[in-house]
Amino acid sequence: MPRIERHANVLWEGNLARGTGRISAGTGAFEALAYSNAVRIGKGKEGKTSPEELLAAAHAGCFASSLAGELTRAGAPPDRLDVTSNVVMDEVEGKGHLIVASELRVRARVPGIDEDAFRRVVAEADGGCSFSALIKASAKVTIDAELEG
Amino acid sequence: MATERSAHATWQGDLMSGSGEIHEVPSGAFGPLQVTWAARAEEPEDKTSPEELIAAAHAACFAMALSGGLAKVGHAPEQLETSATITFVPGTGITKAALMVVGTVPGLDEAGFKEAAEQAKDGCPVSGALKGNVELTLDARLQN
Repeated sequence: MPRIERHANVLWEGNLARGTGRISAGTGAFEALAYSNAVRIGKGKEGKTSPEELLAAAHAGCFASSLAGELTRAGAPPDRLDVTSNVVMDEVEGKGHLIVASELRVRARVPGIDEDAFRRVVAEADGGCSFSALIKASAKVTIDAELEG
Repeated sequence: MATERSAHATWQGDLMSGSGEIHEVPSGAFGPLQVTWAARAEEPEDKTSPEELIAAAHAACFAMALSGGLAKVGHAPEQLETSATITFVPGTGITKAALMVVGTVPGLDEAGFKEAAEQAKDGCPVSGALKGNVELTLDARLQN
């Protein structure tokens, strides 16, 4: 299989407490996103992103495509999948800050699939999502998935 | 204290011909961003992908950890340029995260900079989540 590479760049200026950084995507899909430590550990408003928000976006995007792939393989391609990831960073005694969880919430509109088959496919999508596998060193991935009419 | 960040994506259709959207994130910093399997696995054509977003998170996390570590040893940086490259092999998963940094740090020598960079590579929370699951590499250079 081909190796696919994607990269991103950051320019950081100053110390941790008062410095700021700018994040740019290799593809140009986003550019010079501002972030800072105060925003990362604070409430996260002010139009500034953080590593955890980018991880949440990566996981929601990854799980959505993984689930679309598994549903298609099971003969029931989805009409629509809505996926939210909530990424949690916490201070763990003796280990510093860790990404401890990504909580997925999935609402799916899938013609012609029953509840049991849907559950099986969701479990396969978790196994097949490269991001879910990636973060398991420190994070617990939980999935709340429901079929919608 | 725990910090939480969330993001929301919608996918329509099957994997090969369908497409997804990562909605505008709650902070308002970016989005909506379009994603497709073809753009993820072949030519990106200006579209982002989960791997690019992980690269962005990792480069950002590493820059912060290094800035914090350098300040702790009395050498807050003037500037750090970091990048992360994520390698994805369909069917296998994400196999590699390669970090690079070029730093401008007054009063610090090359050995001190490399040591701080190694610690940030191992200590940043995103590295912590990836550790053991991927090959993690670092190329650190001082530019004073």
